[in-house]
Amino acid sequence: MARSAAVKLQRAIRFASPRAKSDEDLGARDDRPGANEVSEREVKVWDRPVRLFHWSLVALVAVGAATGYSAPEWWMGWHAAAGYGLVLLLVFRVVWGFFGSEYARLASFAHGPRAIAGHLRGLVLLRPPHYLGHNPTGAVMIFALIAVVFALVVSGLLVLGGEEHQGPLAALASFDLGAAAKAAHGPLTVLLLAMIGLHVAGVAVESLLGRENLVRAMITGDKRLPPGTPRPRPRAARPGAAAVALGVFALVAGGTLVGLARLPIPDPAALALDETYATECGDCHAPFHPSLLPAASWAGMMAHLDDHFGEDASLDPETTRAIAAYLATNASEFWDSEAANRFRVVSTAAPWRITATPYWVAKHAGIAAARFTAPPVLSKANCAACHRDAASGRFDDQEIVPPGTKTAGEPKTGA
Amino acid sequence: MRPSARMLPLAALAVGLVLTAATPGRAEPARDAILADLAAQAKAADAGFAGFSAERGRALFATRHAGGKPKTPSCATCHTKDPRARGKTRVGKVIEPMAVSANPSRFTDARKVAKWFRRNCRSVLGRVCSAREKGDFITFMMSR
Repeated sequence: MARSAAVKLQRAIRFASPRAKSDEDLGARDDRPGANEVSEREVKVWDRPVRLFHWSLVALVAVGAATGYSAPEWWMGWHAAAGYGLVLLLVFRVVWGFFGSEYARLASFAHGPRAIAGHLRGLVLLRPPHYLGHNPTGAVMIFALIAVVFALVVSGLLVLGGEEHQGPLAALASFDLGAAAKAAHGPLTVLLLAMIGLHVAGVAVESLLGRENLVRAMITGDKRLPPGTPRPRPRAARPGAAAVALGVFALVAGGTLVGLARLPIPDPAALALDETYATECGDCHAPFHPSLLPAASWAGMMAHLDDHFGEDASLDPETTRAIAAYLATNASEFWDSEAANRFRVVSTAAPWRITATPYWVAKHAGIAAARFTAPPVLSKANCAACHRDAASGRFDDQEIVPPGTKTAGEPKTGA
Repeated sequence: MRPSARMLPLAALAVGLVLTAATPGRAEPARDAILADLAAQAKAADAGFAGFSAERGRALFATRHAGGKPKTPSCATCHTKDPRARGKTRVGKVIEPMAVSANPSRFTDARKVAKWFRRNCRSVLGRVCSAREKGDFITFMMSR
């Protein structure tokens, strides 16, 4: 009783107030002072969450593209952070697509093929029918954009989990799955950029043909109502229901993440280096993690210690046997880390030399040869000069700190 | 056991440590044993053996030899010309000084001594070192 009285009072105030044009745009009502002082023929179309979503999406896609295409490897943490942000945005947008105000609802712009064909015909005649929300052609692009961004974050999480063994899928995704996802991730970004181009072009065309600045509309939320158009009766947002839906999602996702975090990750860092190996080999160079070469390479190397990369590194037969056995049982075949997978493919000319593997060569091709021989690196074998986690065998992108650089690519993305 | 009796070995150890530190190259039974063993081998190989020479050791250390591996022509390649300085392996890892004055634990582990002479003589000289050469080398390092 008290509640309905309050609603009646509110309505009375609205009708009495010059600011309140009607209660039809109730759902899109913006609470900032003066925000609703729009001209008689303007109505609120894009509610504030939709606008915030749109421009956050623009920003995060920009960060993702910039860090993905041109940033150094050690910025990978930022790239992943942008991806996580996109996941949150997508979840929010889908929920808001059910509980948001009229034009935010997915159903409001899920036009049928006939409407799309009609709109396209209008476009060709340069007289497209007017839609207050997304027009049918634009709506197709909105759904496609959401689908492609979704595919991008899923493939990105698979790459992160499979190749890097980081993030929520670190324990589930194999390196091969990550590599397959990577093969899709790149082309998907190209597709997304092309679609963004089309989307912007569409906005420009509709802005020109409809004589209305649609970019401004996505900032203010207001759109002009063409003369003679009946004032729409939009449905209001249901923020409470949206909050409940988001809460349920957060609980399910949180529980899933906790469960995923408990799964064992095939992590070479978990291997305690054998003491004999660490001291005998570590006398001359940092002991390389056994996961960095296949068993055949270790076996060959251990059989020829008297000519070990140009030096005599021979050991007594007992020690040699012990170290050879340790390396054989922990060689790259037994790990799914990125380094183990990459360095498994050795150079045919120098199968014992990690720095001769095709992947190593390709990854370090951009570094001047002099940087390897000058202090403080001194040798290509000195992995730890740039890779802070070299001893662990992980070689995470975020742990790369080339000498002279101040910080690595924080933040590190979990697991 | 009375406390003073229990303290006695500790006190002796402390005195021993102080003496060892104060007189590098001397009063180190393990090193002396290694040298004595090398001397016996040298004598067995050559009846005319008349003791080790720090000067011959210095020459062995500093000379650029032929016959070894091309990247390591001399001991000084890695250990630097100054035995009291730290050296560097070919991949940049620090090697503690060879001179006993700078690194009192040198030549006190017979297995290590054997291992490194075996490896490094082959890398630098391309052959095994004789007992006399090893003794000369250690004597030189004890004099520095």
